[in-house]
Amino acid sequence: MAFLPLCKTDEVESGSSLRVEPDSLPPLAVFNLDGEFFVIHDTCTHGDASLCDGEIEDGEVECPWHNAKFCIKTGKALTFPAVEAQKTYLTRVVDGHVGIEV
Amino acid sequence: MTAQFQISLAGSEATYACDEGDTLLRAGLRQGLGLAYECNVGACGSCKFDLLEGEVDDLFPDAPGLRPKERERGKRLACQCVPTSNCTIKIRSGAEYASAIRPRRFAARFTGCVSVTPDMSIFSFSADTPAEFLAGQYAMLEIPGVGQPRAYSMSNLGNRDGNWEFIIRRVPGGRVTNYLFDTLRPGDEITIDGPYGVAYLRRDIPRRIVGIAGGSGLAPVISIMKDSATLTTTQGTPVMLFGGRTSKDIPDVSKLLEGSGARIEFHPIVSAPDADAGANWSGDTGFVHEFIERKLSGPLSDCEFYLAGPPPMIESVVRLLVADHKVPASQIHFDRFF
Repeated sequence: MAFLPLCKTDEVESGSSLRVEPDSLPPLAVFNLDGEFFVIHDTCTHGDASLCDGEIEDGEVECPWHNAKFCIKTGKALTFPAVEAQKTYLTRVVDGHVGIEV
Repeated sequence: MTAQFQISLAGSEATYACDEGDTLLRAGLRQGLGLAYECNVGACGSCKFDLLEGEVDDLFPDAPGLRPKERERGKRLACQCVPTSNCTIKIRSGAEYASAIRPRRFAARFTGCVSVTPDMSIFSFSADTPAEFLAGQYAMLEIPGVGQPRAYSMSNLGNRDGNWEFIIRRVPGGRVTNYLFDTLRPGDEITIDGPYGVAYLRRDIPRRIVGIAGGSGLAPVISIMKDSATLTTTQGTPVMLFGGRTSKDIPDVSKLLEGSGARIEFHPIVSAPDADAGANWSGDTGFVHEFIERKLSGPLSDCEFYLAGPPPMIESVVRLLVADHKVPASQIHFDRFF
């Protein structure tokens, strides 16, 4: 497993998200929940919406198209119409950069 | 002469005319624009938009399709807003929402009704122009002086005679359905606005058709089954599963399909056989989603699914198909009235 940096920690404010498009991976969403970073697939498993356009509340992100909610930490689909979890990545911070193990 | 307003779509050159009193959504769909929507009654939230310029009246400020937070941020539902000035709106759109048949509002006369189950009947209406709609679509029925427009799916097929048939379930305490059942007389005029809906039969897809319905979800699935008889490309016999509470709630599907030439496999499932005093149900009991795997051979991901019925039924079915059988969401069609 290698560390793939995605963005700088100060590019994602607490309580917000950043969409990142690394080579050879689908678009990813980097979330900052009170200083802890989580990375999941950005494209909703239900449709084609970007989860980075969705509302973040209590560790959950709501897809802007059909209001399906996902747990940011585990990627789990919490409400209909989403029934499949978003893929998650092992996320670490190294030298001021947020990245994932791939 | 009805006043008209110009509606501009942010992020594009498109503008369209919206008659005073018509909703932003339906006016756009009438012009062939693919504005995102599903239910037309404020329940699903698909048509949420930002009003960038202009003013609108919100016909249903408490519509469940928007979260309070979204409302606070200025979002509105296009199916519930009528313009009071020219407007610029930012709304999601897609080719899949633009119907080949543009919806229109027109008068239609009630011609009669036929009982299907103790609380469901086929209501027939006749208009002066050919009835154009795709199997599985719905229309808004406006009964003069009685409540808000209601969405009902057509149970027949498009035809030159101008006939529109709907299977409507009497809702206890429901203003509109009780009016339809008890007060409407042949010859009475209503207004039909349609067709709408994105859960229509995809005629060019060769996968086996599976229709799953409960309650008044019967109508669009019957329409799709009738239409299946006219396809040349589909593989395999269409399959229909229908869930009812008691045996009395199971319709005579072969009678409903009479004359259409449709050959289908029909599987009725009763959820509360003991509530049916005097009847002996010897068929399947349980919930519809419990029988999908048993009644279909081969991988479910080889089928095209059309669903209509109570929200819990649709949720259970979708969960089973997507989570357990990896059926792509693009192969599952239903209009989300919730």
